[in-house]
Amino acid sequence: MSTSFAEYAWLVPVFPLAAFAILTAMGKGARKTGPWIGIIGTLASLVLSLCIAFERMTDNADDYSKSIEWLQVGSLKLSAGFEVTNLTSLMLVVVTLVSFLVNVYSQGYMRDDDRISTFFAYVALFTSSMLGLVLSDNLLTFYIFWELVGVCSFLLVGFWYHKPEAKAAAKKAFIVTRIGDLGLLIALLLLFWYMPDHALDFTTIHNVFSTPGGVISVGITTLIALLIFVGAVGKSGQFPLHTWLPDAMEGPTPISALIHAATMVAAGVFLVARTFPIFEASDAAMTTVAVIGAFTAIFAASIGLAQNDIKRILAYSTVSQLGYMMLALGVGSVSAAMFHLFTHAFFKALLFLGAGSVIHGAHTQDIREMGGLGKTMKITAWTFGIGALALSGIPPFAGFWSKDAILAAALDKNGILFAVGAIAAFFTALYMARLYFLVFAGKPKQDGHAHESPSVMTVPLIVLAILSVVAGFVDTPFKGWLGEWLTGEAPEHHGSGIVMVVSVAVGLLGIYIGWLVYVKGTVRRDAVSSRAPALVRTLERKYYIDELYDLLIVKPLRSFGKALQAFDDYIVDGVVRLAGYSTSALGRLNSRLQSGQVQTYALTALIGIVILALAIAGRRFW
Amino acid sequence: MTMLASYLTLAAVLFCVGLYGVLTKRNAIVVLLCIELMLNAVNLNLIAFSKYGVTPSLTGQIFSLFTMTVAAAEAAVGMAVLIVWYRNRATVNVDEFDELRG
Amino acid sequence: MFNFNIDFSGEFFAFFSLAICAIVGAVLAINFTKVVHIVMSLAFTFVALAGLYILLNAEFVAFVQVLLYVGAVTILMIFGIMMTKHDGEGQEPARPLLETLAAIGCICLFGILFFAIRNADFPTEVAPLPDDNTRAIGLELFSRYAVPFELISVLLTVAFIGAVALAKREEDPQ
Repeated sequence: MSTSFAEYAWLVPVFPLAAFAILTAMGKGARKTGPWIGIIGTLASLVLSLCIAFERMTDNADDYSKSIEWLQVGSLKLSAGFEVTNLTSLMLVVVTLVSFLVNVYSQGYMRDDDRISTFFAYVALFTSSMLGLVLSDNLLTFYIFWELVGVCSFLLVGFWYHKPEAKAAAKKAFIVTRIGDLGLLIALLLLFWYMPDHALDFTTIHNVFSTPGGVISVGITTLIALLIFVGAVGKSGQFPLHTWLPDAMEGPTPISALIHAATMVAAGVFLVARTFPIFEASDAAMTTVAVIGAFTAIFAASIGLAQNDIKRILAYSTVSQLGYMMLALGVGSVSAAMFHLFTHAFFKALLFLGAGSVIHGAHTQDIREMGGLGKTMKITAWTFGIGALALSGIPPFAGFWSKDAILAAALDKNGILFAVGAIAAFFTALYMARLYFLVFAGKPKQDGHAHESPSVMTVPLIVLAILSVVAGFVDTPFKGWLGEWLTGEAPEHHGSGIVMVVSVAVGLLGIYIGWLVYVKGTVRRDAVSSRAPALVRTLERKYYIDELYDLLIVKPLRSFGKALQAFDDYIVDGVVRLAGYSTSALGRLNSRLQSGQVQTYALTALIGIVILALAIAGRRFW
Repeated sequence: MTMLASYLTLAAVLFCVGLYGVLTKRNAIVVLLCIELMLNAVNLNLIAFSKYGVTPSLTGQIFSLFTMTVAAAEAAVGMAVLIVWYRNRATVNVDEFDELRG
Repeated sequence: MFNFNIDFSGEFFAFFSLAICAIVGAVLAINFTKVVHIVMSLAFTFVALAGLYILLNAEFVAFVQVLLYVGAVTILMIFGIMMTKHDGEGQEPARPLLETLAAIGCICLFGILFFAIRNADFPTEVAPLPDDNTRAIGLELFSRYAVPFELISVLLTVAFIGAVALAKREEDPQ
């Protein structure tokens, strides 16, 4: 094979990195040019990624990987390199595409912000780190980029650091994901310890764990798999580490779209997919992943029913959809998970950007204060509707096909998992219907403030809407090639008919109920809350998870910290103060001895002489 | 006990009494006088040794003359200092001479 | 232990009475409160000491003692007393700690001195001093001790000039 685009894949993360470097060097002065630098950087990456992807589609090329020796410690070698497979090329396209569109959109959304060039610098750094993460050929560099995207997320969530909620959310995001990162780090160390030749690259991992009766025992495998999953749980906002993701919506909306909906949170799913052989080698780990995924899907969807902040609803929706992906992984269908990741990235980015447009126009985030926006914000309303339908799983939109694939895989494995997934799909349709009808239908609750966003913001919406419609067709049950392309095996679709019917039925049912309640008014809105107020309050308070963590973890840790502080204040500082105080007390004593009373001095001299004489005389009797 | 020992003991008694006066009296004039008393005790020692010492000679007496001269000079200067002090502070109490207090 | 071994000669009685006089004068001086009384009782001590000097064959020194101490220093002190006020006498605040410590220190010092004197080994034979004490001292002063003598005269001059300069009332600038 002659020169291929894959050989230049390492350039993909380099473009945004260069953009970041230039933006940082230019400082705050680059208000006009700054956004363009970011856009051009991601555009270059996008073009290259598309080239790589198309190249791989056409001639079905072999995986390309190249690594250089990075560190040598004794006999130990650490390498750094990149690897292009079908999976990574897909992820490259998703990341660069969403990133590019978000960059374009942000140019309009962030226009009035003072630190717009800083914002674009952060976004460029994030894009670069995410692409590096995707391209990494071994777990060590993967982990480094993993942490880098975490840092960027922290910076961007806390971008409006003058808002106390944003600061708190940034800290929360960083600390909660850190728990997951610790799991991943331990998994990394365990792998390093147990792997032959301490190899950490994905190819070797794949080979080692795919061999039956491999070198690593089942117990250790399960442990490693579960620890990796802990990392994924932290990053992808799975239960019980999901609490940071809704709070992360304090960041600018484009960031919610880019990081907390489309790309970074998918890194956890991607991690599991990348290390899938380890999971496959352990049934317990697979079951855990499936159960956690299914539980998160229905858990977050039920919370989404009772929220009133438009971005929070979408955030819980994201958590729920990530749960779906985990469920797909847990039941052994990487292709379904990646398919859903792929489609979800588009329609969730669309929904978030649409929400940003709504917020931009309506100047509020509370859906109860909105209404009738469909008349004034036509493009936003249409594109948002497409995104909502895609998310609800209505054919022919993208979400239907991918969700269908997941549900089919779940049914193949376990009926209960399928049922949970279906109920979650119903909830999804219901809360999306509630959101859509409350925001866009009905009478305007504000007088004429709402206006359509500028075209720099609506064009990305339209592009994403088109993608949300067509992206599903890459892998339909009738003619699927994505799964085959990704895994190299011909996918089997079981019970597609039933699944499709159920999936469409619950989706339509959810939308219908939403329509009855929020448009037609046949069912009163407080029908549930008046009968079961405790349930609604529990949902509104997100099952009191935050309060529980506060009680169980934050409070004890804080008191422990207080105790340590007291120790520091009174014991450690006390010793220091004692040293200082005793010195000054000695000084004060000496100063008091210097009374200026000549007679006292003379008396002291006399006593000294007497003592000396007695000592000399006493020596005789010794 | 020889006469020399008796003289020395007497000188020790006078010296200690003078020392006690120097240490306890507040009036600077009395302190000066007590210093004179101590000097006299020393003189008594010198003169006693000039007669009863290992090598009796007049040197002791001559030294005591020098001592007296120096003592007289000291008394004169001390009194002058006291008077200047009294002019400035209207007191001659030693315990109020604490300008060097730390 | 205390074998005083005293021969009760005339010299001893003279010494004894003069020593009593000196000690009494000193102790009274410590106990008096009025400054004039103190000066007078110390003058008494000085006179007693002059008597002791005569007993020790130091007639010239005794003469100078009377002249200098009883005559000059005491009179100087009385002038000093007259030029300063002494209102607060007798009602001074006691300093018991200082006085107790001073007493203990002095008694200890005396004990040490007494112990040293008792244990010292003194020669017993007494070489005769020249009869003409004054003449002998004069010869010594102007021959062997000529330089110290001149130096002491310079010292005296400086001291007296200094005393005058110190005590002189400073001129008003106006």
